[in-house]
Amino acid sequence: MKISRRKLAMAMITPAALLAQTPQPPIPANPEEELAAIREQNRRNSQALDEFPVPMAAEPAFQFKA
Amino acid sequence: MPDLGPDIFFATITELSAKLKAHEISVLDLTRAFTTRLERIGPRYNALALPLTEHALRRARELDDDIKRDRWRSPLHGIPFAVKDLLAYAGQPTTWGAKPYAAQVFDYTATVVTKLDSAGAVLIGKLAMVELAGGPSYRYARASLTGPGLNPWDRTRWSGGSSSGSGIAVSAGLAPFAIGSETSGSILTPSAFCGITGLRPTYGLVSRYGAMALSWTLDKLGPMCRSAVDCALVLQAISGGDSNDPGSAGKRFYYLPQFAKPVNQVRVGYAPVDFNEWSDPAARPAFQQAITVLRDLGVHVKEMALPDFPYGAVLGAILGCEASEIFEPLIKSGKVDELADQRQIAGLKAGLEIPARDYLRAMRIRRILMQEIAKMFIDVDLLLAPSRPSPATKITDPLDRRLNPSLNPPPKSSGMTALIPAGNLAGLPAIGLPCGFADKLPVAIQLVGQPFSENVLVSVGKAFQERTDWHRQHPQV
Repeated sequence: MKISRRKLAMAMITPAALLAQTPQPPIPANPEEELAAIREQNRRNSQALDEFPVPMAAEPAFQFKA
Repeated sequence: MPDLGPDIFFATITELSAKLKAHEISVLDLTRAFTTRLERIGPRYNALALPLTEHALRRARELDDDIKRDRWRSPLHGIPFAVKDLLAYAGQPTTWGAKPYAAQVFDYTATVVTKLDSAGAVLIGKLAMVELAGGPSYRYARASLTGPGLNPWDRTRWSGGSSSGSGIAVSAGLAPFAIGSETSGSILTPSAFCGITGLRPTYGLVSRYGAMALSWTLDKLGPMCRSAVDCALVLQAISGGDSNDPGSAGKRFYYLPQFAKPVNQVRVGYAPVDFNEWSDPAARPAFQQAITVLRDLGVHVKEMALPDFPYGAVLGAILGCEASEIFEPLIKSGKVDELADQRQIAGLKAGLEIPARDYLRAMRIRRILMQEIAKMFIDVDLLLAPSRPSPATKITDPLDRRLNPSLNPPPKSSGMTALIPAGNLAGLPAIGLPCGFADKLPVAIQLVGQPFSENVLVSVGKAFQERTDWHRQHPQV
């Protein structure tokens, strides 16, 4: 399979590095915008969680003992 | 009152204890000196939530009586201390740093405070904090009932949070040690920004009974001090099982340096990209020098990186859900709008809307994350990274902005830049050690260990601080 250097470079970049490339949204101007911005962030979080593969056998860390 | 000299305010617990044992000073002298200083200088830096001077002087007299009978309760006997204002102290206001709770008074005392009292330490006051310990997130340093924590090294800079008052008090010599709390970074950040040594214990090692809950599965209480050894002495006093804390691990910490792994056998994993690329250019020489010191001590340094996980999303879902559930009465009552930070208000409100499925998925990913991080400790004993990539931010800077937007292009690897959320999600202990200055502001490294490996952390911290004097430097206040 052929892969371009640009695509290879993008594949090697880790999530934090990708985040650092994302333009920063402006600071919300009022409480409504603030709530909308947080909801958007929660939506992005939800998407990131969805995209992470979780084996069926993985149980939640409810019995949380370090 | 005898003149104790300015050095007394920056002495370690061990040094103060030696003076008490030699009868060079009394507990009452020491307590008077610190209570006076805390009340005089604390407000200048927005560090003081509540002075407890009368209580402290009464207690000091009792402890002097003990000394007259040659009764020493612990290495902390007669040592003044202060606590973050999220710890209950019976009959006194506990504000959690937030306007809606300004008049809150509990009729019981936090286990940590009770334990320190039994150890003979003298509570002299409660310290300012970011409102509700910053949960689930906040934008400005001014998100506090007492105003922004001002950094003793430069009042135009932030002290760090959410244990802001604890960082300021130790740095400015207002208390020999303080108790802070960490959900994700609230001990390590103010310790780094203020140039002091902070220890985040393993989840469950220190009882949280009587402390404000922000996240049941993430909250920890820990010492903020002048040295790694001081942290160990305080942790020894406050650790231990507690049936009042459902998260208690039922374990104690004993400071046993004689049994700790020799430093020249300790293996440390680090990511060079954290030190060479992600960090502020002005801080890089200090960070590089810290690695050199560790190598000189015989520590075996190995390059590695954290496994790829959506750390921010996992932490955001768990903290968002738990914090909003805890503060649901505040949100539903509408009093949440009395908080100082709009982002925090919105975050609490929106947290109630996070689907249960997101929380469960985050907790499942957390389980895998814990397993993967545990595997890293097959090859190394500790993980190393800058505590924060930059020195203290300006008071007016928005804290949710990227710390170093000048990184263009950004580094290709994220190294261990997520060590604070990763370590907190996995419940791992950490120690923050001052390692130099950048633009005349302190910077620090963090070492993270396996659960209940606090003796290794202290041992390496002690060796590091025997080779360096960054922890002995203090601001002119």
